[in-house]
Amino acid sequence: MQFPSDYKYSKEHTWLHVESDTGTIGITEFAQSELGEIVYVDLPAIGKSFAKDEVFGSVEAVKTTSDLFMPVSGKIIEINTALKDNAGVVNTESYTKGWMIKIQLSDTSEANSLLTSEAYQNLVG
Amino acid sequence: MRIALFSDIHANLPALEACLKSIEEQKPDAIYCLGDLVGYNIWPNEVINEIRKRGIPTLAGNYDQGIGLMSDECGCAYKTEPEKDMGKISISYTNSLVKPDERKYLRTLPAHIKVELQLNNDKLNLLLVHGSPRKINEYLFEDREEKSLLRIMEQADADIMCFGHTHKPYHRILPTEQTENTHYRHAINIGSVGKPKDNNPKGCYVILTINTNSSVNNKDAVQVEFIRFEYDVEKAAKAVEDSPLPNDYADMLRKGF
Repeated sequence: MQFPSDYKYSKEHTWLHVESDTGTIGITEFAQSELGEIVYVDLPAIGKSFAKDEVFGSVEAVKTTSDLFMPVSGKIIEINTALKDNAGVVNTESYTKGWMIKIQLSDTSEANSLLTSEAYQNLVG
Repeated sequence: MRIALFSDIHANLPALEACLKSIEEQKPDAIYCLGDLVGYNIWPNEVINEIRKRGIPTLAGNYDQGIGLMSDECGCAYKTEPEKDMGKISISYTNSLVKPDERKYLRTLPAHIKVELQLNNDKLNLLLVHGSPRKINEYLFEDREEKSLLRIMEQADADIMCFGHTHKPYHRILPTEQTENTHYRHAINIGSVGKPKDNNPKGCYVILTINTNSSVNNKDAVQVEFIRFEYDVEKAAKAVEDSPLPNDYADMLRKGF
């Protein structure tokens, strides 16, 4: 199982990749494997703001559904529209093509409170 | 129009016989079966043939699909390792029991049946699926978010959606506000004939009544009756115990979980 070292992780199994004040968010490989076959990802509207730990969307898998929690606070600037027709890419490429939202970070220092790849690996291992 | 709908028999012949007897007494205008004829008990061929000889329109369930393809995968969401191990025994045993002609029948079953009713210059779409319109093995439990159920039904253009797969019956009425009227959709899980999981060991099927004045704008457009019938649970449980199937499946029948 993969845990890219340049990503930050939340205990709610989302990852965050920061580039200056922009963050890309998705769910971890562990999360997708727990959920099983994903059939739909419900994502928010562009322009909406969410606080850290707030629910920003949900994932519908064949056996269950799960809310998606913001790892940090921010405003939605882009959503992965490709997931609409192919949510299954979250299963196969959760850290790359399976990304979910891009945000403008409200406070870049919030990312420091997230888990490193080693810490997250210990959490789920 | 009164429509009888049943599902998830899972090779339980005593339950199916009692279900069909009860349905005959109801004298419905139509009968549909929403799939999962096989698995977890010893009578897959007999169940297939009882349904087949009556010409009941039947959907493929995920278990039927697995057995139809002689697969070792039934698409079931087993949660624990012991459950997975038991599941493997069930599918392998079922594959060993099902005869070629019966297997061919399972392979040709459709995934959906859509019935378009035309009443009061309007249409009322009844969609029958095993799990959900998008996945044969998707579990639509009663606590599914309304937004999600509505989206699934809107995408499938279904005003009334009947399904099984979870073995836990319910009826939810889902309103959508429109400019002039409220559009009511009905999501109906019809429960299970031969493997109920709602802590009631009695078998379950549904009688759906649609009236001449039924419309999508009338909340009570359809009446849904969940009928629970007695059957010889002990015979079905004993059959499990006397077979290579795990005894846990017998306990589940006795207690309904």
